[in-house]
Amino acid sequence: MNVRKLVWLEFKYHKSQLISGLLAITLGVAVIVGIRSISVVSEKAVAINLDNLGANILVLPQGSNVDNYYTADIDAPTFPEEYVELIATSSLAGVDNMSPKLTRRISINGQKIVLTGILPKSELASKPIWQNSGLFGKTLKASCGPNPSNESLGYKDEKLQRKSIDSLAPDECLVGYSAARRLNLKENAAIVIEGKTFRIAKVITETGTIDDDRIFAHLHIVQNLLGIKEQISAIEIMGCCNAITEGLLGKLRNILPDTKITTIGQIVSTQVQTNKMMNKVSFVFLLIILFVGGISIGNFMWANVNERRKEIGMFRMIGFSKGIIYRMLLAKAFILGVIGGIIGYIIGTGAAMWLGPEFANLSVRPLPGLILVSLLISVAVSLIGAVIPAWVAGKIDPFINMQEG
Amino acid sequence: MNLTITNLCKQYHHADGPVDALKNVNFSVNKGDFVTITGSSGSGKTTLLLCLAGLIKSTSGTILFNDFRIDSASDKQLSGFRMNNVGFVMQSFALIPYLTAIENVMLPLAVSNIDKAQKYNRALELLKLVGLENRKNHLPKELSAGQQQRVAIARALINKPTLILADEPTGNLDPALSIEILDLLKSINQSQAITILMVTHSPLASQYGNHKIHLTDGCLS
Repeated sequence: MNVRKLVWLEFKYHKSQLISGLLAITLGVAVIVGIRSISVVSEKAVAINLDNLGANILVLPQGSNVDNYYTADIDAPTFPEEYVELIATSSLAGVDNMSPKLTRRISINGQKIVLTGILPKSELASKPIWQNSGLFGKTLKASCGPNPSNESLGYKDEKLQRKSIDSLAPDECLVGYSAARRLNLKENAAIVIEGKTFRIAKVITETGTIDDDRIFAHLHIVQNLLGIKEQISAIEIMGCCNAITEGLLGKLRNILPDTKITTIGQIVSTQVQTNKMMNKVSFVFLLIILFVGGISIGNFMWANVNERRKEIGMFRMIGFSKGIIYRMLLAKAFILGVIGGIIGYIIGTGAAMWLGPEFANLSVRPLPGLILVSLLISVAVSLIGAVIPAWVAGKIDPFINMQEG
Repeated sequence: MNLTITNLCKQYHHADGPVDALKNVNFSVNKGDFVTITGSSGSGKTTLLLCLAGLIKSTSGTILFNDFRIDSASDKQLSGFRMNNVGFVMQSFALIPYLTAIENVMLPLAVSNIDKAQKYNRALELLKLVGLENRKNHLPKELSAGQQQRVAIARALINKPTLILADEPTGNLDPALSIEILDLLKSINQSQAITILMVTHSPLASQYGNHKIHLTDGCLS
């Protein structure tokens, strides 16, 4: 028998009361971990998208937004595929490549997957990871030469090295890394999408982008399958940077007045703003958890101390000093904090892994570093909440068990 | 062991005015004494016991335990004094509900540096002494009132005290069990020469003391 064992035995004895004591702090930590897990992945996705997308101009239907495009909502607006032809025939300088896409969220074996229709010969495959998957095609020729500023930094303009996917048969599809894992798919296996059987031509190596959760098939096949003929969700355009500076966006808007034309810089800026907002939200939650969690733990500890007045009085009577009583109460709060932090981390991470693909189209993985943050927050809040009840416990009269006579 | 009380006074402050619980109490107790403290309700019996244990501060006077001044010691010093010298037996038993009998007995040693096995063996020895060896793993709620009080007595002995302060130890027990507990206290007093100061209402219990103190309105009589 020692003080540690005594604390632990008391903790186990009142374990049914712990649920209420732990609820606020656990949920608070879970929300912080959930938001942080998604925003960290989102921040990475922005960076990787910027590196790998290749295209730097995005043409979207009027009234649409970037979120519609990325989340592939079922009712996201579309526009005619012939707009690609309109741009192509206008002979605009600086348009190096166009990649029309139709994206829709579908269900395969109960799993939500984004089906993306692409035109293989014009699909940008500038993403190095896609190339690592063996998806090489013809070399694109850029309309303008390497950026001298880039060369001076010691690397070539990446656009000169971009390749396109050569071919994708009508019954073939490419499957993103996460989608393949979730659906347990292998290369050359068959998969039924919207009633049509496809052969998996390639499982794309993990990219860390939204592509990981997608299945790619020929645009015209996807249009037929989804019953949205000759319509597309977006055109990704690889435009020459100098041409963009010289007003390429304005020229495109003149050709396609009923579309929304934006640059990747704007998209990234939007996403960065979203991420900043999420960080602010998690900071607000941090303040709320400090307040509510602290009060909740304090309330629980207060009730615990009141319930145990005679017991604590007994400890004092037989020689436990006030310091030992404080330590016992704070040790209990520490255990509560550790349990709250761990459960909060598990719930938050689980929620982020479940809701990330569902709502933000992001594959979220556990962030081990967050467990330390969860523990620190949870333990700190618990200890702060327990300070006053511990002080009160130290003040309990040692003679509470003796009756006045 | 020698306990000397000189001119001990204790005054409580009440909304209706000060109340003198103890007035110039003087007596001394020697090693191996069994002292019973009797008196009517409100006569100051328990207040006296609380002062002797250093659980409340006296208003004036001195309480000397060997060379240790209980009346003027700090809270930390008093904690150490109680831990090393005093065993408590109370009417309500005051056992910890989530500890087994043997864990309750070991409780006062929880903050000591004594080896775990030594604590256990000593607690087991004491449970044997009070006849509850076979109930060592029982929780208080699984024991009868008499058994709970015997566990409390074993707990009072675990730190090898020189003084046991007992507050109405038979107050919650029927006459047969009371005799059993009083016999046990008497045998501990005689076999181990442990001084016992016992507050009691019971005329039967008061017969067990070799010294008797009677309090009337805070004064010895």
